[in-house]
Amino acid sequence: MDLSIIQNLLVTGLLRGGLYALMSVGLALVFGVMNICHFAHGEYYVIGAYVAYFAYALFGLNPILAILVAAAASFLAGAITEKLLFYPLRKFNKGEWVMNAFLLTAGLSTVLQSIFRLSFGMKYMGIIQYWDATVSIFGMNIAVDRVVAFGIALVAIGGLWLFLRRTRTGRAIRAVSQDERGAQLAGIDLNWIQTLTFALGSMLAGLGGASLLSLSPAYPFAGNKPLIASWFVVTIAGLGNVEGAIVGGLLVGVFESVSYYLLGQGWQDVASLVLLILLLLFKPAGLFGTRVKSVWE
Amino acid sequence: MLAVKNLQAGYDCLQVLWDVSLAVEEGEFVALIGSNGAGKTTTLRAVAGLIKPAAGEIFFLGRNISGLPAHLISRLGLSFITEDLNLFEAMTVRENLLLGAYSQRDDRKVHTSLDFILNLFPILLERRNQLAGTLSGGERRMLALGRGMMGTPRLLMVDEPSLGLAPKMVMAVFEALKVLHGQGVTILLVEQNVNNTLHLADKAYVLEHGRIVLQGASAALLEDPYLKETYLGRR
Repeated sequence: MDLSIIQNLLVTGLLRGGLYALMSVGLALVFGVMNICHFAHGEYYVIGAYVAYFAYALFGLNPILAILVAAAASFLAGAITEKLLFYPLRKFNKGEWVMNAFLLTAGLSTVLQSIFRLSFGMKYMGIIQYWDATVSIFGMNIAVDRVVAFGIALVAIGGLWLFLRRTRTGRAIRAVSQDERGAQLAGIDLNWIQTLTFALGSMLAGLGGASLLSLSPAYPFAGNKPLIASWFVVTIAGLGNVEGAIVGGLLVGVFESVSYYLLGQGWQDVASLVLLILLLLFKPAGLFGTRVKSVWE
Repeated sequence: MLAVKNLQAGYDCLQVLWDVSLAVEEGEFVALIGSNGAGKTTTLRAVAGLIKPAAGEIFFLGRNISGLPAHLISRLGLSFITEDLNLFEAMTVRENLLLGAYSQRDDRKVHTSLDFILNLFPILLERRNQLAGTLSGGERRMLALGRGMMGTPRLLMVDEPSLGLAPKMVMAVFEALKVLHGQGVTILLVEQNVNNTLHLADKAYVLEHGRIVLQGASAALLEDPYLKETYLGRR
């Protein structure tokens, strides 16, 4: 394998991995703070994609603005979902929270997919591109859309990092993930933190769906692939580990493009699943599972 | 400041407290003593809002707080340091302390408290960038005390601060409580270490099987024949 091929694989892998990282960070955050195995995460990706489509293709908004509107919409959708479904579940749940919350997300996923189907029909709603340009990286011509999507993922993850590390509310989110009772006694309102966390996680997914609209159009079931990919990443990284999800997302992106190149199309999923099985057999806590336990440590 | 009236509380179908009444006045150091399973921790939990009282009333600063959620009670100025401390283990000592002042939005006041606490517990100053999970048992108690003090509470409730500590550390913890009380902090202390506690507190309540069986000034209790025989092992 000569150098240019390695460079190519690395670039395409990282560009792909940026989205995985973005999706997985949301998933890890929701699991780390709320103990929810979120299987409707992909639907917020789809909400982001639909909103960006309407904002950009129908209302002719500037691409960046359209993506921001999509992020805001998925944040709002996440907040409403939490207040409408998970808050009552938390209140009336007796034991078995993890299982009940998981079942609720599984049902929510089906319901949301049906709503998308009823509202927009079984058709692809996509755009050719946000920006009609390419850039050259290591002699490869890459659509600006992909690079911008990667940049958005990095900025969003970096912003989240600063928020969790440096702000009072961000610290409170980490506090809740580490010790709910301690957080309550410090005066932190658990309900508010949980709504905020779910909304932030949904926003990250929506951001992914919106920024990759030209590569994968909005479609009622468009959330399945990113959902599975991000679950793959958090399983590898260790559940609820946000930092691990970033590294894991990029790693999986590169791993997929390498196995795609070496084994041929269609085999990259096989390679990923084999990796997952091996990891679960020999290191079930995930790559970073033993060292780190909570949201961002 | 705090008045508990005919409190009944427990867990699901197990009632632990039967008609507990007690009062803490501003500036007092009050102790709640009793053996294992007497209901001391349950009393504090009910006051802090972690469990809902089945009956009875709890007044704090003249306001009925029974049934209020824990975070609102904390924001009223009632700080509860639990037996298992509930530290944020994967955060630094400094972050833990800052979270203690979560309800205080004025940055200047937060930093005044931070300086005060780090000054009071020099060991925390030394360890401020270390993760809370890496501290020793005694240091963890100090951190929990410090975090509980960060919001400049009106009342500090401390549950078994001497539990599991080496005798030297026990003395250090009691010394810290004494200093805090000397600075005008009102304290409600739960302890099994009866002798030490009575020498520190102004007055005490003795809890047995979920009922207050004895109460009065510490000096008087130290001379009480029943208490002497049951808790101090003297005749």
